[in-house]
Amino acid sequence: MKTPWQIMTAGDWLVVLLLLGISFTGLLWVATTAEGTRVVVTSGGQTSFTAPLNQPRTVDLDGPLGQTHLVIDNQGARITGSPCPRKICISMGTAKQTGDLLACVPNRILVRIDSPVGEEAAYDLLSR
Amino acid sequence: MTCSAVESAELTRARRQVFLALFIAIAVTLHVLETLLPTPVPWLRLGLANIMTLVALYLYDGRAAWTISLARVGIGALLLGRLFSPGFWLAAAGAIVATSAMIVMHRVAGRRLSPIGISAIGAAGHALGQILAARLLVIQHPAIWQIMPLFLFFTLFSGILTGWLASGLLEQLQQHPAFQKNEADNNTSADDYVERACR
Repeated sequence: MKTPWQIMTAGDWLVVLLLLGISFTGLLWVATTAEGTRVVVTSGGQTSFTAPLNQPRTVDLDGPLGQTHLVIDNQGARITGSPCPRKICISMGTAKQTGDLLACVPNRILVRIDSPVGEEAAYDLLSR
Repeated sequence: MTCSAVESAELTRARRQVFLALFIAIAVTLHVLETLLPTPVPWLRLGLANIMTLVALYLYDGRAAWTISLARVGIGALLLGRLFSPGFWLAAAGAIVATSAMIVMHRVAGRRLSPIGISAIGAAGHALGQILAARLLVIQHPAIWQIMPLFLFFTLFSGILTGWLASGLLEQLQQHPAFQKNEADNNTSADDYVERACR
């Protein structure tokens, strides 16, 4: 019996490489665009608030400068109001994919999207 | 046993039916035996039954390939007690997309694709059909497409393996007088075979 590389034509190699390419591109795409399930807020290095991404709510987050308003709705999480001078966090838009960040540096607030698995995912809402 | 007074076309058709029946039997056997093997993930299988679909496609035509794949899905599910279960619809959708893709690509590419290339395309089609059915029937959420790349990756290897095995089997079968392609124009080889078989 001939070995696979004795049988495979140039067309076969093209097909195999194409399919490999598609699956790797897809894997990369999944890894980078997977929709997150949880919003995690860190202020001053400590996790101050976590909430599921699929439940709409509005939260006021306390920071050294004042309150930062975070809105979670079906489009994702976004900051709608902040006491910081340049409002960069508001212009960062909406975060919904795993790994997305919204940062309000002057108010020391960091909003992060993740997708916890296992025991961690069991928490519905955590507030400290 | 009478061998005379049989029209050549009739004989060709009867021979084709007998071989297709044999191929279905082998495909069903491979399919059922394969489900007995342990797998890392429930629906990650080798798809050895596809060897017979490929053999039918190369020895005969697209219609023969349809016969093998659809009969394999139906009889296999019947034997395993899965007829009309969700798993059956997934398998049927996978087989339909895979067979369509293999037939079309075989027709388009001709000899430029060996059974390995056709099998790889069939494997990808099988994955696509299964996830499509799963999306519609089992998990009605777009997130199911996220497993597609991983699925495609693993299925590629099983596709190459079954294509290679099919190619080895075809190499043997195509030398056999019963499968000489030119039997319609030049009956000598096939008729010799039949006469030898009849004596």
